[in-house]
Amino acid sequence: MKRRWMFLFLMLISLLFLSGCWSKKELPELAIISAVGIDKNEEGKFVKTHQFINPNNVAGGLQGGGGGQGPSVSVYTSTGDNILEAHFRASTKVSRRLYHSHANLLVISEEVAREEGIQDILDAFERDPEIRTTMTIVIAKGRKAGDIITSLTSIDRIPAEKVNKTLETTEKMFGEHIKVSIQESISILESSGRELVITGFRQKGDSEKGKKLENIQNSELDATLEADGLAIFKEGKLIDWFHDEDARGVVWILDKVKETNVNIDWEKKKDAIAYQVIRQKTKVSADVKNGKPAITIHVRAEGDIREVVVPVDLTDPKVIANIEKGLGKEIEKELKDSINLAQKNKSDIFGFGETVQRSYPDAWRKMKNNWHDVTFPDLKVNVKVEAFIRRTGLRTNSYLSQMEINR
Amino acid sequence: MFSFFNGKRQTKKNMKKEQNSSDQPNSNTKYPGYIDNTLSTNIDIIRKRTGNSSDIVFRSLKIGRNPEIKTAVVYVKGMVDSQSVNDFLIEPMMNNPALQEKIIPQEVLTIITEEVVALGGVKPVNDWDELFGSLMSGNTIIFIDGVSEALIASTQGGERRSIQESTTYVSVRGPKEAFTESIETNIAMVRRIINNPDLWIESMKLGKMTKTDVSVMYINEIADKEIVKEVHKRLKRIDLDGILESGYIEQLIEDQTLTTFPTLYHTDRPDAVAGNLLEGRIAIFVNGTPFVLLGPAVFIQFFQSVEDYYERYDIATAVRFLRIFIFFISLIGPAVYIAITTFHQEMIPTQLAIIIAAQRESVPFPAFVEALIMEITFEILREAGVRMPKAVGSTISIVGALVIGQAAIQAGIVSPAMVIVVSITAIASFATPSYAVAISARLIRFLFMISAATFGFYGLILALIMLLVHLCSLRSFGVPYMSPIAPFIPGEAGDTFVRKPVWAYKERPRLIATENLIREGKDQRPQPPANRQIDNQNQNIKKGDQNET
Repeated sequence: MKRRWMFLFLMLISLLFLSGCWSKKELPELAIISAVGIDKNEEGKFVKTHQFINPNNVAGGLQGGGGGQGPSVSVYTSTGDNILEAHFRASTKVSRRLYHSHANLLVISEEVAREEGIQDILDAFERDPEIRTTMTIVIAKGRKAGDIITSLTSIDRIPAEKVNKTLETTEKMFGEHIKVSIQESISILESSGRELVITGFRQKGDSEKGKKLENIQNSELDATLEADGLAIFKEGKLIDWFHDEDARGVVWILDKVKETNVNIDWEKKKDAIAYQVIRQKTKVSADVKNGKPAITIHVRAEGDIREVVVPVDLTDPKVIANIEKGLGKEIEKELKDSINLAQKNKSDIFGFGETVQRSYPDAWRKMKNNWHDVTFPDLKVNVKVEAFIRRTGLRTNSYLSQMEINR
Repeated sequence: MFSFFNGKRQTKKNMKKEQNSSDQPNSNTKYPGYIDNTLSTNIDIIRKRTGNSSDIVFRSLKIGRNPEIKTAVVYVKGMVDSQSVNDFLIEPMMNNPALQEKIIPQEVLTIITEEVVALGGVKPVNDWDELFGSLMSGNTIIFIDGVSEALIASTQGGERRSIQESTTYVSVRGPKEAFTESIETNIAMVRRIINNPDLWIESMKLGKMTKTDVSVMYINEIADKEIVKEVHKRLKRIDLDGILESGYIEQLIEDQTLTTFPTLYHTDRPDAVAGNLLEGRIAIFVNGTPFVLLGPAVFIQFFQSVEDYYERYDIATAVRFLRIFIFFISLIGPAVYIAITTFHQEMIPTQLAIIIAAQRESVPFPAFVEALIMEITFEILREAGVRMPKAVGSTISIVGALVIGQAAIQAGIVSPAMVIVVSITAIASFATPSYAVAISARLIRFLFMISAATFGFYGLILALIMLLVHLCSLRSFGVPYMSPIAPFIPGEAGDTFVRKPVWAYKERPRLIATENLIREGKDQRPQPPANRQIDNQNQNIKKGDQNET
């Protein structure tokens, strides 16, 4: 009996010391932040832009038809000498407790990324217990981060959600952009053998119109958000943008490409055959000979032929083999182009340094210090691509072949 | 300290008792301890003792020749089987030739017993207490003038509810019959299942005023003798005015009174009782109720239904898991919702968080108060639904559906998400096979809600741990309540969360049936024929034998 009461007593006492997540907060007392933007103003202070979700306007029409009237998000900005100060300043404008746990987008303006570098910003985000480090980072290309945050979007009513989903979809279907989280960026920043790549987002159209509810009442939005290019960093600072094939080359070497399409010329007609990669595997290996590193990239792609605009006999294995060879060359060229561009920028965004470090840790120690500026720009990179055609879609030969025979 | 209080109270009680007993002799002195030899005196005594109650029938008869002997038949209307009283008692007494001759009163008793009355039980009695006891329980008394003894003929009968389907423990597969209010019928129903002389029954009468028949049933070779003794000891202790239902006995013989959990199992299904007897448990039958008590009970037993054993094991196992899941929902459903929405919003998927936030936007109360309102509303509806006259029942369900489903949300008192949570919890609390455990879960749920509202998941887990500690501390007739999980008994774990195949039940629960554990023979697992070829050959032979052309 005595022991049981003792046990109960100890349990109750432990309540006082093991308070854990103490503070009780009702859902309606929270201002749920969906996205955060970081800019700098003329005085050199940080401008933090918060995108708050208006639950009633998002959930829509649930309670007495009041939903869907106003904008789905509200935006407040605050300034401060550092991120935290800007954060606390926001409380002068927002009636509710700022709640970061559902924020999943961090937008950093190109200006800040170029001039300040992003390493000064991320610590505040990593340190806060409420903020998830799985938040996606994007760079506001050419505009302020606030413009991206304020822009209203259709289909996905929360802009942060739209940006995230766009990134996910395009990374999977097209492979020119990648989704990078705070966590990943920090680990890349820490690494000596790799530089950071972050997708850029651009607001197309008038930023003032983008803020208005009318924007999303048009079938074609006045201001839209779209993924545009990859921002290349060097030592935490943005130095260049990669676009189109160059950008895809980077994603490809990072082995993040899942599906994409590759066009090759055929019988002098440009981009005559379209090939869809449905699965691929890229292996990067390093070799050090006489203190000189060399990188070998091995790509093995499998896919279907999805479009043919010249009469070509796809039933002939030799033709297929030729197309495969052509595809291999095309992909190889693409990868080499983006490697060359990166080498010009002296930024090892592919993590070749990390590969060398993993395979030859001793040799790495010697070349570590001048890897990006000396070794990487002159690095010898072999690219081997094997492309396989698995299917040709629902048709074998195109109707074009039949037309030619009949003519 | 405890015993000190006890002592004090007892002395008070004793004093009262003495006062009472000093009063009582006055009423007792109205009749002597033994039966008088004059008929009229005896009848007067009965009249006085029963206050001339109108349902007591006195039927005077005359038997014998020269001189005629006055006799009387006394019984209670409605308590006796009137057909057997008329056909086998009164009619033969009037017409039997053995009584038409000259007889002396002293012989009458033997003649009636041996030659006249065609009933199963007839015995002489000379003690008033015994006489009244059997008169009131539906027996017929025969008085003979000039004899200071009477005869008791067992004519118990009267109108009773017939055997019907169980309404509290329903099953799809399995016997449909359920116990009735009559203890004899109930005992016979179990005997019909277990046709074995080892099925032992011990009867007693409990309750000072009601003198209710209570029977203890167990299988001699299987039940633990210590537990049988303990049951007896506890039953003997009972000194109450009345036992109206087995619930009285349950509350008087349980090990631990400070708990919401039932430590005795009750059922109205004969097959459930038989199954438990075979596991070594002891059944307590009480006259006047269809619910039979079974002990020692363990926690997991309340999640078992007889049908588990009639279904195949894989299905039964899936259902067991479902039931335990259901129990947890009914226990912590609203508590989890409160904890998540007031402490751990980061755990909700963003979309859902937004939807819940939008719903709660117009609700003026914190989630805990909201949950409390809904829970109490539901409890009101449930209680009303159970107690209402059936004719009004549909009104309640319509009003309830409107109030809970629609109006409360539109009025902005509760949010739709909360309605879903409370409804699921409500349904879950009825999906537990044992009503007794469902009620206790319903009660404890409020404690969980409070702990979740004050400390979030931390409080919830703490409350769960305390519940577990409490459950582990319980005993039923000395058997740990959480066995065979805590203490863990590997051999019996197959009848807890999983229900192993019937052919794998090698032993009886060893804490309940302490001796004679082997339950089934070896090699009970069914198998396909060892050699198919032989089978085919047999078939061929058969083909040849039969006229298959």
